Amino acid sequence: MSGVHVRVRVAAEHYALPVEQVLEVADLGEITPVPGSPPQIAGVRNLRGQVIPLIALASMLGLAGDEPSRIVVAESAELRAGLIVDEVLDVVELPPASEQVESDYLLGAHLVDGELIGALDLGAVLLPIGSQRASA
Amino acid sequence: MSASDEEIHALVRQEAGDCLQRMESNLLALESGAGGSAEVDAILRDAHSVKGSSAMIGWQEPAALANAIEERMERARESGAVPSETIDPLLRAVDALGRAVNGEEGVAAPLVEELAGLAAEDGASRSDAPTKGGSPTKDAQETGSPSRPTAERAPTIRVDAAKVDRMLDAVGETALYHRRLEHALGETVHDGRQVSEELDAGERLLGELQESVVQMRTLPLSTITSPFPRAIRDLASAEGKQAELTITGADTQLDRTILDGISETIVHLLRNSVAHGIEPPAEREATGKPPAGRVDLRAHQRGGMVAIEVADDGRGVSAEVLARVGEGGSLVDLLAETGFSTAEELTEVAGRGVGLDAVKRSVESLGGGLEVQSEPGRGTEVTLLLPLTLALMRVLLFERGSQPFALPMTSVGRVVAVTDTTSLGNRPSIEIEGRVVALSHLGELVGGAAKLPERAPAIVVESLGRRLAVACDELLGEEEVVIKSLGAVLSGLPGYLGAAILGDGRIALVLDPNHLLKAPAEAAAMDRPEETSEQPAAQVLVVDDQFSARELQRSILEVAGYRVEVARDGREALRRIAEMPHLDLVLTDVQMPEMDGFELLEAIRADEERASLPVVIVTTLSDEASRKRGAEVGADAYVVKNEFDQEALLETIERLVGR
Repeated sequence: MSGVHVRVRVAAEHYALPVEQVLEVADLGEITPVPGSPPQIAGVRNLRGQVIPLIALASMLGLAGDEPSRIVVAESAELRAGLIVDEVLDVVELPPASEQVESDYLLGAHLVDGELIGALDLGAVLLPIGSQRASA
Repeated sequence: MSASDEEIHALVRQEAGDCLQRMESNLLALESGAGGSAEVDAILRDAHSVKGSSAMIGWQEPAALANAIEERMERARESGAVPSETIDPLLRAVDALGRAVNGEEGVAAPLVEELAGLAAEDGASRSDAPTKGGSPTKDAQETGSPSRPTAERAPTIRVDAAKVDRMLDAVGETALYHRRLEHALGETVHDGRQVSEELDAGERLLGELQESVVQMRTLPLSTITSPFPRAIRDLASAEGKQAELTITGADTQLDRTILDGISETIVHLLRNSVAHGIEPPAEREATGKPPAGRVDLRAHQRGGMVAIEVADDGRGVSAEVLARVGEGGSLVDLLAETGFSTAEELTEVAGRGVGLDAVKRSVESLGGGLEVQSEPGRGTEVTLLLPLTLALMRVLLFERGSQPFALPMTSVGRVVAVTDTTSLGNRPSIEIEGRVVALSHLGELVGGAAKLPERAPAIVVESLGRRLAVACDELLGEEEVVIKSLGAVLSGLPGYLGAAILGDGRIALVLDPNHLLKAPAEAAAMDRPEETSEQPAAQVLVVDDQFSARELQRSILEVAGYRVEVARDGREALRRIAEMPHLDLVLTDVQMPEMDGFELLEAIRADEERASLPVVIVTTLSDEASRKRGAEVGADAYVVKNEFDQEALLETIERLVGR
């Protein structure tokens, strides 16, 4: 999809989320681990009195060498979570994500100046954990 | 909880306020000539409902006055006219009723008398047309009390629930900043007496604010349950039956919106229990049950939901119905099938199911679910699972692996220090008052294998008749916290009731005691070879001549996942054993009529095919001679009833069954 996106970096890769689905960007804060949850759930965080789940994008996307520093609070179909990223790069207009990518969590990739930017599929990223296991 | 009484009074007051307001405008309509029989009926209805709710909570004066108004209006309906001179006393009576429900004493009696006087006169001189021109209206306005009940009842407003939630979040955060401010000032201000007083006052107010916001959203179940016990008794006696209702967990907090929607459903289920579940006394006694039926209404938190169970010890569904369930589908779906539930004949046989489709729809519309368990002759249990959006809960806070956790106080038995641990099976255990209790270090949940401190505190968690000791690094104390959901993304994760934000901003995960008590068994099952999960549940025969002992053991074993059959004495047991080629274990009492436990055991050991069948003796005989006799005849284990410990018994059985 084309439109205005928030571009983020996780390890060496760049990803993008539609700006309408981003509620805010916040510091990492204090993360409370939730024992028993799958590895891509980093824990929960107190964000101004709300308990929000944090998703480790690096673990979800199978990336190594990440240095978490920020969370991007995203919402899709009433599901809300903070996505942990290394860096929030900018807010930019991107062309349609026309490039095909093999990933459960990406809709495709935007091609900008010869560089690929993964288009995050928030429907899949924010899938409640019980239903995720069933599809795995 | 006295708070819940207050809540009920407030509700009755609010409800009465609505009624009074309508009564007043209807009376005024009658006076102006715009009203007719519809208004008379409406006033009757409102007076009747104020009477009913006042009487229910023991408010004599308002009930008497509402009754007087009702009688007066009854007469008006019969005569087809409301004499205009009665409007004014009625309006004053409505005013007085408003004051009476708000606790003012002595205002009701004079008006009860006045209305009664009117009623007497009325028979003699019912002359006037329903309404007359201007002058009575004027009179009424002049003599009518200036303080209409509308001025006294608390006005209500409708607010989007999400706004209340945001408010609650903000209150919690404000409290956090307040604490930080306190901390910061403590370091810089030396003569801080006045400052600290101001800060304390602020903190108290914040606490009150938080509680009021939570109360905007929730009410205890007890708000709606007070009329139930009486209603059940009356309903049962109308049907020629005896039934007693026991309510537990009435202080469980529920979302107001859900509480509103669920009252009728609970009443429906309770009625079903009495009308279709509980048998007439003669039928009950014939099957060895006490003549009075038992109906239980239980509420407790289960996972992120509130479970409300309505259980009876009545006749349950028929074996035919259960057989149909066996063919596929669930009992609840079968009973909720519209065709099924409305078929008169079938519901008679089923003993259940009337309107269960409506119950299911109503619960599902609230985002909840419905479960039904039933056994022929033993009763039915219907569970409503309702979403928990928010609740205040008393918890015990503790730390493990430098992370705070919480357990609901209702599940905490006591706290002990871990000194010696013994090993029972593969699990570490500790001894508490001579009983062995399995010890969990939260490893299954927390993952971290950090070493426990010397004499670590262990919290004994009790739920559904099972116990487990949970060791931790440090107790942080008891606190009332707001339980928040972990969010939709984590809603499928078992083990947690939710999370609480602590005063210092940290998040304490609130553990689900029911899951905790289940977890070790599951973990143990996972350690064993894979085929275990494929095997059907082990079969156990419980032999005891005492009904209560038999049923107790049955329920313990069934909860633990065994299939259980029962027999009343040794002879019956032998017959049952012959019918059960896949029997895995026998649990037997010693002293029984016909054939005692030792004789039964000898007979089993004498049978070549069954000689190796594990047999556990469960008896009150604790003397050495009996123990020795037990060992001689070949008992695999000897459990004395006085020392009866469920965990230990289950461990023993698990070991003997070998799966």
